[in-house]
Amino acid sequence: MTVTPAVIEEEEPTKKGLSFKFPPEETEMGLIAGIIGAVIVIFTGLPAVIKGVGLLLVLLWGMDSVRKTSKYGLGTGVPSIGVLATGYGVVGALMGLAVAEYGRVGQLYPAVLVGVIVMGAIGLVSGIFANGEKFIAMKIPRLERAMMELGMAGTLAILLECSILTGSLSFAAVVDNVMTTGLIALLFIFNCFAMLHPYNACLGPDERRERTRMCAVEISGLICVLLGLAMIGLGTSPYGILDGVSLVVFGAIVWVVFFRMFIKACMDECYATVGTGLIKTIE
Amino acid sequence: MEPVMMILIVGCVVIGGLLASLGAHLLPVGGAPAAMGTATGIATGTVQIMLGAVMTGLFTAASVATFTDSLLLVSLSGAVGATVMMCVVMFMANIVYAFGCGIVPISGRVDVDPITKEPQAPYRTPQTDGHGVPNVVYVSGAIGGFLAGFAGALMYYALLNYAHFSAGLAAIVALSIFVANAILAAYNIRGTIEGFHDPKFKRLPKALISSFAVSLLCGIVVVLAATILGGAL
Repeated sequence: MTVTPAVIEEEEPTKKGLSFKFPPEETEMGLIAGIIGAVIVIFTGLPAVIKGVGLLLVLLWGMDSVRKTSKYGLGTGVPSIGVLATGYGVVGALMGLAVAEYGRVGQLYPAVLVGVIVMGAIGLVSGIFANGEKFIAMKIPRLERAMMELGMAGTLAILLECSILTGSLSFAAVVDNVMTTGLIALLFIFNCFAMLHPYNACLGPDERRERTRMCAVEISGLICVLLGLAMIGLGTSPYGILDGVSLVVFGAIVWVVFFRMFIKACMDECYATVGTGLIKTIE
Repeated sequence: MEPVMMILIVGCVVIGGLLASLGAHLLPVGGAPAAMGTATGIATGTVQIMLGAVMTGLFTAASVATFTDSLLLVSLSGAVGATVMMCVVMFMANIVYAFGCGIVPISGRVDVDPITKEPQAPYRTPQTDGHGVPNVVYVSGAIGGFLAGFAGALMYYALLNYAHFSAGLAAIVALSIFVANAILAAYNIRGTIEGFHDPKFKRLPKALISSFAVSLLCGIVVVLAATILGGAL
């Protein structure tokens, strides 16, 4: 009987310099993203870049919830839960936009948060049904909370995107600029991908939360670029064309930084990379 | 808005949600095993198939809704669109499996086809769960596509004509409510299902109860939004 020496060598220290630990824990992430996202949604007069930061946080929160739920194995693939979040988001955004005019002070729309709360409640109900012993019985720990968070994050994301594209949250403006132009279909897909793709791409036995989050931030950066281009095309911003251009630049910087970071982390943490020649290796 | 209209909208959304749930149970979902040819059905998840079917259905329904006000005509056109899409996908899957992989369409759950009475067990590769889309699964999938398209188009019609949403908004909201219901059904299925002859089909009532609750809540949200906006769409 011989003992293979490879077993001893497995205890390697984790590589440094590539951690992205903002905020360190899931509950903190939810609280921070939820509160900042809600505040940015209310103040629609803010420049697009700040709304972009809010969008980035909210999508990161949604992705965290998807990861939390999917790691127990849904049986239907990770995309299902991301699509669910966006589906709830659209219904919640409709509710929020419908009541937006109540209690409006200038460019402040505090009533849109009603949509977020309603969707949180519907998410909670569907989570109870999906996890309940007498109903679908998924038996996933804390699924109720995760579904509630997904509903809220999806609604906030759709509302923030509407707010970026129209510069306000009045229903007529949103219908003119987002619904009739067909941009809502793109928003649907953007949100789906930002929430479901990172974990879907990174899942596996060696999945690491920080690395998955890098992928999420990178996709949010791309979404910011596309939203910025749409803003320039629509010309709805109160700050003129500079607002859209700044969002494009912000998104591009975020994308470049986090894409590099993500690829580097993947290359560092894998056992070996075999180049196909298609992508230039960073090292 | 009159109370009758409110009840009509909620009713249409709830019926649509229930039909979506039923349709999801009838579609042949193979998932990842089907991609390797080791399970019956189409090689993707429930949500992707349902989303594809209902989007095709909404395209045809929306085109028909531009020149008619008939609920039945719009809903049926959506159903036909979704059925055609599902049938083409299942047919192409069979062609790829038969001529690309060289495996015959065989059900993994039953030994004799319930409709054509063809034997299934002798042709099944050992250690697999069937291949491709056999006859009974094809019929089940066509019915599932029909119901899914009908559900989507029914919700679209209710939102467009009773709640007076604009066409784009009605389509995207109908799609969202449909997706939420389809995913609850997908969780009930747990990955793969063949159709009405599958033992998992008996779990249907549980998904229907969940779908009823969720689509009722979504219907109430839609009615509230439509009432508050009061035709300002």
